[in-house]
Amino acid sequence: MPADELRDAPSTSPVGRLAATVERLRREVQAAQAEADGRALIELAKGILIERLGCGPAQAARQLAELTEQARVPMLELAVDVINQAARDRLSEVTSTFLATATDPGASPDTSSAVRLREAESGVLAADDTQAVADSLLQHALAPLGAAAVAIWAAGADGSLTLAGSAGFSTAEAARWRYVPPGVATVARRALAHRATQWTGSLAEEGLPTIGNGHFPGGGRVAAPAGAGGRIHGVLEIAWPSPLEPQTPQVVRQVEALAELCAHTLETQPALIDGAEARGPLTADVSELMDLVDGLHDPALVLVPHLDGDGQLSDFRIRHVNSHFLDPAGRPRGVVNGALLLEAYPMAAGESELFQRVERVYATGEPFRARRMDLTALVDQVPLAAVADISVSRHGGSVLLIWRIEDETARLASLLQHAQRLGRIGGFEENLLTGEITWNGTLFDLYGRPTSSSPVPLEDLAAHAHPDDAVTIGRFLRTLLHHRRPATAAFRLQRPGGVTRHIRVVAEPVLGVDGRPLVVRGAYQDISAQHWTEVALAATRDQLAHSEQQAHERARLTLQLQHAIMPPTQAPLKAPGIQAAVRYRPAETEQLVGGDWYDAVVLPSGLVLLCVGDVAGHGIEAATSMVVLRNALRGLAVTGAGPGQLLSWLNIVAHHLTGAVTATAVCGLYDPDTRVLRWARAGHLPPVLIRDRDASPLPLLRGILLGAVPEAAFEESEVQLAVDDTLLMYTDGLIERRDRSVEESLKQLLTTARADVPSLDHQLDRLLTYSKSDTDDDTCIVGIRVA
Amino acid sequence: MPTERVPVSVDVTLPRDGVAVFTVEGFLDVDTVPELRRHLSDQVSRGRYHLLLDLAAVSFMDSSGINAILQAREQTRSVGGSVRLISPTPTVRRILELTGVNMAVPSSESVDAALAQVSEVTGRH
Repeated sequence: MPADELRDAPSTSPVGRLAATVERLRREVQAAQAEADGRALIELAKGILIERLGCGPAQAARQLAELTEQARVPMLELAVDVINQAARDRLSEVTSTFLATATDPGASPDTSSAVRLREAESGVLAADDTQAVADSLLQHALAPLGAAAVAIWAAGADGSLTLAGSAGFSTAEAARWRYVPPGVATVARRALAHRATQWTGSLAEEGLPTIGNGHFPGGGRVAAPAGAGGRIHGVLEIAWPSPLEPQTPQVVRQVEALAELCAHTLETQPALIDGAEARGPLTADVSELMDLVDGLHDPALVLVPHLDGDGQLSDFRIRHVNSHFLDPAGRPRGVVNGALLLEAYPMAAGESELFQRVERVYATGEPFRARRMDLTALVDQVPLAAVADISVSRHGGSVLLIWRIEDETARLASLLQHAQRLGRIGGFEENLLTGEITWNGTLFDLYGRPTSSSPVPLEDLAAHAHPDDAVTIGRFLRTLLHHRRPATAAFRLQRPGGVTRHIRVVAEPVLGVDGRPLVVRGAYQDISAQHWTEVALAATRDQLAHSEQQAHERARLTLQLQHAIMPPTQAPLKAPGIQAAVRYRPAETEQLVGGDWYDAVVLPSGLVLLCVGDVAGHGIEAATSMVVLRNALRGLAVTGAGPGQLLSWLNIVAHHLTGAVTATAVCGLYDPDTRVLRWARAGHLPPVLIRDRDASPLPLLRGILLGAVPEAAFEESEVQLAVDDTLLMYTDGLIERRDRSVEESLKQLLTTARADVPSLDHQLDRLLTYSKSDTDDDTCIVGIRVA
Repeated sequence: MPTERVPVSVDVTLPRDGVAVFTVEGFLDVDTVPELRRHLSDQVSRGRYHLLLDLAAVSFMDSSGINAILQAREQTRSVGGSVRLISPTPTVRRILELTGVNMAVPSSESVDAALAQVSEVTGRH
């Protein structure tokens, strides 16, 4: 037989375990079929004959067939007779009576009721749980009596009633009545209280609540205490659809016999309870353990051993799961609760050896703990992997299994959400490849934007900040995107409606394997309250260190001077036929703020003066010289002279008027009508022309730096620009490096300049952000694009 | 003589009367240029007006270095002296071209070539 072959597999091996489970399920199906056609009774009778006659199964079958022929009764009835003789129990007594009356030719229905009773018993014995018992009772014993539904209640030690099994009631109704707390008067409770069968002609007259009273309001009810060996284990409750007349003593005794059968089931198989809530008669230790696990914060299961027919441990029944229980496969608790461990988690017998661990703990009492154990579960044949920390321990006759699923991302995320909300922290993530931006709700709040609006990219941050913070933000972006290092910046966020908040932004790049940043993630925090505290503290500190502040004031004055002359970003230049944009980034160290300048202005002649320059040195002296030179050039330019002549004059100014400073400068005059740029340079880097995505510097014209010699001449050149050409003038803060030549730095700059960017403003921002300079120097850029 | 650990060292030799050769090694930037200036002023104050700067071992020079050279040029010109650079590295040569200083301050291939040039100039006067 296949079953035998399967049994041959070593029962301790994983395959053996699975095989045993499969085999048990198969047996249940067979049992159900046998019960349907009464074969179970015949098989039972055969078994009795085998035992009594000491013969084999084939001989027993022949014997039964012969006896049937001799007695001239159906084989089923004969089987019942054989069983009755062998059993000599109360049921036998009842059935003997029926069989006695069966000899009366007019009483044939009773014969069949005796068969039915045995069939019910057979079903009950074959059934694996109380639910099946209820099904069997209703089908074989009670439906023929006109009953419509049956409920088997298990009585708890505390006086509660738990619906251990039911048939004929709707699932919803059964679920509603799965538990009746102590002290609630129901029909079943009354049977328990009186320790006697309660016959109710019509529920309506009685007025007691019970399961199905809505469905069978006027129907009769019987509630019989299910006791055995002097102890009541529960109540058998039977519902009739219509009012019930007083019954014959035979029926009364039949019901009592069935109640006893139920008691047997409830007593001997306390663990075999199906349903969403695996409550039922409990031993004290299991009950206490269940209380304990309900107080645990990790998913916990109470397992009780499940023995096979030979009294061997074959599996564990999941007796209880706590409220924190989360199935690794995401199934509802009810599906797992009450199931056999190997049925719910067949893979437990697999490589994880979870089942073997549980078995060992049960056998030896030695607890087992493990980290990162595989808890794969099969859901509709699909294995769902989960990794968990496991704890297994024995408590009395039960085993406690606790796991903590590693992937608690959801829970942590929710915790984080709360923390972020309380700390007014807005989180974000930007994918640099796709441009996709994710904000959390708090960040939309911080920005004062509806969550339905689109997030602001980091690159556009300056547009939402106070103009004076543009430099800080530029530096932040440079550290983050160019140096690929975590960066932080504090700035004033200007929200719609004129509200200003002090915000700190912290961000870090996530680099790919090739070292390129893939994602930038970070957080904004509203530090407005903290900011004002810091301001107050700073004021106190300033008073204590007055001289230091004076130095600081000087540096700030320099910066203010710079800003006054050249705002870090300036309104676009209004000139026909070109777009112009300018950027100024002061040195990071205030004392090093110096003499870089730019200018872009439309002259009365209609020509556009473009210039950047750099006064040697730092601090207030350099800044004042810068102001002198810049204004001088503006004034000189009005004369209509060419760039070479302008620089010659400016050299005189530098040499004689500004106290012998030196400065470099590049100066151009652009004619919008002809698109010709005339330019000259004084010791300064030549402009860069970007044309057709190719960037190259203009030639190195002859021209010494300003102020070096009393008189100097400057070579002039012209360049014909075309539509879409971009021309950049910049100071060496953009490229200066100690570890490489100007050539190499320039090459890098040209590469950056070549990149395809949507607008001139973006191009200038990119140049500032990605500049390779490693010296802390001022940086100026002027750019024009021919429209 | 420089003893502290600055990333520049300046060695002064006196090949003949009125001429000082400064052998500079390291970076010339805002932090190290004062050291060079000190040596230059020191020699000028001792009556040496022809200053030869050997820059063969200077790997980086910024505008401070340029200004130190130009300042030395101003100082010596007023008293009939001169400043010459000797074998600047490509990086420094590039800076000199960029700033146009090469037009005001000549360079020589070697110390000997520079000394010969100085003789020529002083010989005329």
